Amino acid sequence: MKLVSYMSQWRGIAKEAMDRTAIAVKFLCCLHITDTYFCSPTHVYGPSMLPTLNMVGDIVLVEHVSQRLGKVRHGDLVVIRSPLDPKRCLTKRIMGMEGDTVTYFDPMLGDATRVAVMPKGHVWIQGDNIFASHDSRHFGPVPYGLIQGKVFFRVWPLDCLGVPGQ
Amino acid sequence: MKLVSYMSQWRGIAKEAMDRTAIAVKFLCCLHITDTYFCSPTHVYGPSMLPTLNMVGDIVLVEHVSQRLGKVRHGDLVVIRSPLDPKRCLTKRIMGMEGDTVTYFDPMLGDATRVAVVPKGHVWIQGDNIFASHDSRHFGPVPYGLIQGKVFFRVWPLDCLGVPGQ
Repeated sequence: MKLVSYMSQWRGIAKEAMDRTAIAVKFLCCLHITDTYFCSPTHVYGPSMLPTLNMVGDIVLVEHVSQRLGKVRHGDLVVIRSPLDPKRCLTKRIMGMEGDTVTYFDPMLGDATRVAVMPKGHVWIQGDNIFASHDSRHFGPVPYGLIQGKVFFRVWPLDCLGVPGQ
Repeated sequence: MKLVSYMSQWRGIAKEAMDRTAIAVKFLCCLHITDTYFCSPTHVYGPSMLPTLNMVGDIVLVEHVSQRLGKVRHGDLVVIRSPLDPKRCLTKRIMGMEGDTVTYFDPMLGDATRVAVVPKGHVWIQGDNIFASHDSRHFGPVPYGLIQGKVFFRVWPLDCLGVPGQ
């Protein structure tokens, strides 16, 4: 008799645990789908985008819709997977689309300006801080397929709330 | 009176429609998560992977776990986003990982074999049918970040069921 009552009690607890787990899983699923396909908050840091983004770290909102629709343009701040290290993402500005001729200046290689032509399907990315940025000036044009999303709003720090500067 | 009865009838129908839509949405969410992160069936076609894959089209299973764990190796059949056209995916074989020296032969450029070194974070992809494949011999090494998944099983046509040949 006691065993039967324990079993039914346990079954009730197990059912409640399953229901709550199901709700948590559904919530995480929806959160993940929103993060991957619509908009996600991302922590970006480093000196390569000064003065647009701060060195110690900002939290920005990245939208993932534009790159799927092909609406990423010259001048956009994008989050892009690094061509040198597939586990890292970089935040840079697009300075050339496919077919463009890009004129760039690398302070570490002297005063000469160089020219590059973008091949089909590639973009030229550059950090706003040309003195401390490792970008297309060093590893060449990057395939468009590596773009993860476009930065459109900064939410932290609060005194820099808004669209990051041009 | 009639209006009230119509309203309550409509509310019952609307609730049932919402419940069924919710079940359909949850199913599509789970299907999508499985497709994107675990395993998805893909239709591949074209002459560049003869005789391993058929020209008129095969349905293969692609797993998306290995490339996230960095377990994609020399000799693997992979689905990779094209560096020239970000909307297209190619199915090729990996013939060189980062740091490797690749010796290749392009029949359209004469009899000479050429040598290339694969830079950091990149892979060298080649179709099994070197006479009809547009691959790294033409557009150079491709960033590892463009790999979408690894082909591990063919399900159609049924007489070619199994692991695609080496």
